[in-house]
Amino acid sequence: MNLILQGLALGVLTGGLYALLASGLSLYFGVMRVVMVAHPAFLFLAAYLTYTVHTAFGVDPFLALPVTVPVFFALGVAVQRLLVARLAPDNLAMMSVLLTFGIALTIEGLLGTFYTGSYRSISMEYATRSLTVGGVSLPYDRIIAFAVAALTLGVLFAVLVKSRFGRALRATIQHPEAARLVGIPTGRVAGYGFGVGLATAAVGGTVLALITPFFPASHWVWIGKLMAIIVVGGLGSVVGAALAAVLLGVVEGLVLVTVDATWATMMFYVFLFLTLLARPQGFFGGRLAHRF
Amino acid sequence: MRIASRGIPLLLAALAIAYPWLVPNYYLVYAGALTVMYAAMATSWNLLGGFTGYVSLGHSAFFGLGAYGTGLLVTRLDVPWVVALVVSAVLVTAFAAGVGVAAVRVRGASFVIVSIALVSMMNLVVQGWRSLTGGSTGLQVPSPFPGLHRGQTHMVFFYLFLALLALALLVWWYVSRSRFGAGLRAIREDEDKAESLGVPTGAYKVTAFSLSALFVALAGGLYALWFGSLDPIFVFSILIGSYMVLMSLLGGVRHLFGPLLGALIVAPAGEYFLIALGETQIHLTATGLVLVLVVLFMPDGILARLTRRRAGPSIHDQSADQRLQEVTP
Repeated sequence: MNLILQGLALGVLTGGLYALLASGLSLYFGVMRVVMVAHPAFLFLAAYLTYTVHTAFGVDPFLALPVTVPVFFALGVAVQRLLVARLAPDNLAMMSVLLTFGIALTIEGLLGTFYTGSYRSISMEYATRSLTVGGVSLPYDRIIAFAVAALTLGVLFAVLVKSRFGRALRATIQHPEAARLVGIPTGRVAGYGFGVGLATAAVGGTVLALITPFFPASHWVWIGKLMAIIVVGGLGSVVGAALAAVLLGVVEGLVLVTVDATWATMMFYVFLFLTLLARPQGFFGGRLAHRF
Repeated sequence: MRIASRGIPLLLAALAIAYPWLVPNYYLVYAGALTVMYAAMATSWNLLGGFTGYVSLGHSAFFGLGAYGTGLLVTRLDVPWVVALVVSAVLVTAFAAGVGVAAVRVRGASFVIVSIALVSMMNLVVQGWRSLTGGSTGLQVPSPFPGLHRGQTHMVFFYLFLALLALALLVWWYVSRSRFGAGLRAIREDEDKAESLGVPTGAYKVTAFSLSALFVALAGGLYALWFGSLDPIFVFSILIGSYMVLMSLLGGVRHLFGPLLGALIVAPAGEYFLIALGETQIHLTATGLVLVLVVLFMPDGILARLTRRRAGPSIHDQSADQRLQEVTP
């Protein structure tokens, strides 16, 4: 029983991080109908940059954020404006996956060349301790990860709902032609949408570096996990992705403590295939999904 | 034009058959066999990708399953290697049909996601099922030709892969001329319209999916017999799947010889990179950049460029008169 509670707690904490990581993917899909396979590669790029800042200057990994977040925002805008926007509109879905796949390979190769293929990790003094609540031990690094993810997601939602830019972005997601008609520069807004998406990858990468060791090829595992999350949630639905992230995080956590790590990761694919068989458009919204 | 289009393939075929005797050392025979293996796989991939437009990044799953199936049958059940090869390929094809039923329910980007997930899944299964597959330490497969030395083995497998390539090309050519092929093309151009016109899209897609898995599985089985040791991380790597896609796109997915041409460029380039730069990861970057460039600037491939045919509708317009003249002598 205690074990189950432990798995549940860890699952919720990890699910929060998954929600943050998947939210970027939902944004890209929303604004451009693009499945950004390179998102996890950028995540690990951010993790490595954080690692470099941490080891070179000996500062807290979160102090890398003021540098990485603007850089990644600019990178995202550049990727959208210079690469994705140039693809021919027919067959955009397939070609964009191949394009971002190529970007992912490029990043993985560069990371492998500069940092070698061996494991890296950042261990902070506060990350090794844990908080015990009613027999369930919650590692501080997971709590911090969850808090940062929740905070970032909160800011993201606030921007999307309250700000003028957020309204323009949502209009672009809902109906690009209509948005253009009322005077929204949809091309530029889509570019900023990509920028915001990659900025979440910068935050996610820092958090990831804190809680888990990483090596250049580990982004493939994350592609599978995050894709499973956005398919289960319904492609293009930020809220759906967040719900599916917590659900799958909990399932993973429970299987991890009761069976083993292989099956825990396998659960993502099981859910992916079950969703495709039962409800290809996803379980939480995602009316956009079926055709893409 | 007629003579050129008939003569050049024949000349190339003759060159390919003579290749192992033309090169000065066994390393080049090995590199040749590897290139032909990739060409066979890319051509097989193109049975799905070229006709239906469904891009699968996960065909290395079938490569790995074919390799492990053959290897396990030879080592655990002691069956002759030919039988093992065929049985494992048939099993993988049946498996692909099962997966295909789920996978082709979704289109476009979701399909690519599923194909990537398939590779990761198979990788997990093979690494996790330690008692059967040897886990991450890999699987050792005895050579089917113990009498031959290493170089002669390369030579034998060069011809085996060449036969596989010929078979894959033949099937592609046959499908491209059949009603089945026309149906698959209709799916690529507009799936909903094709369905409303009575093309059994679901069954066609699953058939194309399993057919393209068949030859990739055969290539995997041959690879297992050839190399003799299987590393799950390599055979189930997403990189092999992306090579198939890159080769096909580079050469031209709508042409019979497109994937072959792409393989002739990409595979030797990859080998050269390995020699020139050693075991660094920079070859990934090179592959990635080439893929980005191809997708951005040449999504129809080299052959489409050369033949100067714009990528218009592939089912070309034909009046009833023209059609009639073709059939009546």
